[in-house]
Amino acid sequence: MQTADISMISMIVGYLLLTIPIVIFGMLKIKLIKETFLAVLRMTIQLLLVGFYLQVVFQLNYWWLNFCWVLIMILVANVTVISRAHLKQKLFFLPVLPAVLLGSFFPVLYFIFFIIHPTPLFDARYVIPITGMILGNCLRGNVIGLERFYAALKRNQEEYFTYLTLGAAHKEALLPYLKEALEAAVSPTIATIATIGLVALPGMMTGVILGGASPLVAIKYQIMIMLAIFAGSILSAFLAILFSIKTSFNKYNILNLDIFAG
Amino acid sequence: MSEIITFQNVNLRIQQKKILDRINLKIFQNERVAIFGKSGSGKSTLLKMIVGGYVPTTGKILFRQTPVSAQTIGGVRQSVAFIGQEPVIGAETVRAGLLLPFHYQANAHLFPADSLVEQTLRNLELSADILNQKVNSISGGEKQRIAIARSLLLKKDIFLLDEITSALDAESKAAVLKLLCLDNKYTILSVTHDQEWLRHCQRFIEIEAGHIKADFTDFHSVGQVSDFTRNQINSK
Repeated sequence: MQTADISMISMIVGYLLLTIPIVIFGMLKIKLIKETFLAVLRMTIQLLLVGFYLQVVFQLNYWWLNFCWVLIMILVANVTVISRAHLKQKLFFLPVLPAVLLGSFFPVLYFIFFIIHPTPLFDARYVIPITGMILGNCLRGNVIGLERFYAALKRNQEEYFTYLTLGAAHKEALLPYLKEALEAAVSPTIATIATIGLVALPGMMTGVILGGASPLVAIKYQIMIMLAIFAGSILSAFLAILFSIKTSFNKYNILNLDIFAG
Repeated sequence: MSEIITFQNVNLRIQQKKILDRINLKIFQNERVAIFGKSGSGKSTLLKMIVGGYVPTTGKILFRQTPVSAQTIGGVRQSVAFIGQEPVIGAETVRAGLLLPFHYQANAHLFPADSLVEQTLRNLELSADILNQKVNSISGGEKQRIAIARSLLLKKDIFLLDEITSALDAESKAAVLKLLCLDNKYTILSVTHDQEWLRHCQRFIEIEAGHIKADFTDFHSVGQVSDFTRNQINSK
């Protein structure tokens, strides 16, 4: 069973849903109308471009082209993580990149090799959406993890310095902040896992059902993707902090305050 | 007397601003040194530099005549206690805070027996009952003494004290002075304007705008330093 297409007329009707938030913003004089229009315009253009590009990628289905797209996704995610964590790109781009790469690539390869084994193995239909889902969630975990870790160190400089002067090795002094950051990074994913399916059907499951599969097949994909997201999130956040430490502290293990953007 | 801490032409600049300027200083074993000067003159920065709080822009610091470096800073921090005006206990309860550093690998072999902990607390006019209290329920003066007790249990013999007397009442100040100054066992550098504390010091260093303005050993000369410092001392 093919997914039903949406006509241009229907798309225009869909955009009319925007009148609801616009009217509410207007009534309450909330200054978000311009921002809403810009965001929706940006979303439309971005998705149109991605849609046309993926149409070509899926038709050609060359493994190296699929990987190029995945790499672009990872690079964009890397820049976004650092920017949203309010850290300087030039100091964090290279250290965080392998963390984003490993955090997303490892679960994707695990998913493809050990769970679904599609034919061909790196079929664009599987690799790109699965990478996108894992990467999107890793991005959130990474931002929270990095931001929380470095913000806590900046806020508690005296406390951290006390640990060092009490004889803590560098990793011992950093441990409380690492634990707090990782807990914050994965808590949203744990909460999502615990409540999934109770309130709304999650994205992967919806997509698989719309594509014609049975709900029982859909839930298998959903469970597997949630586990991959969870593993990828914590791996990515942990490695991002670990790999970035060397550039963030001076030779006496004191935090370098120049790492913060803005 | 052996040199414990040496500053050789140390300059510190932070974001183009001069914080410490051409500091040349030698601190000897068992000396009790008082450092004073206006707020922002660089006194606390000078203390913190000894335990690696800042990397000198130029010049070097030696600890027991060995240059302080990335390889040796751990050893310096093992020997030197740094206690600030609002010490960090680092745990929810006093007991956990007092024993916190003994869970670090470098200090595991020094884990103190309960009897030693209680004796150390008694020497600082603290009852063992304080161990069961929450850190946020004890006073500033009690926190200062817990921080000192912790350093004594870690067998540190060099103390860098940054304005600790402001939180101590007369009784606890007397206990701390007696413990740290009797028997000349410890080397102490303290940022202070407290008259009673100054009386127990043997050397007095005035810092002004990041450089050493005066370095003398006569307590009676303390009153002859800058107007600001004299007023600070006389008001305490």
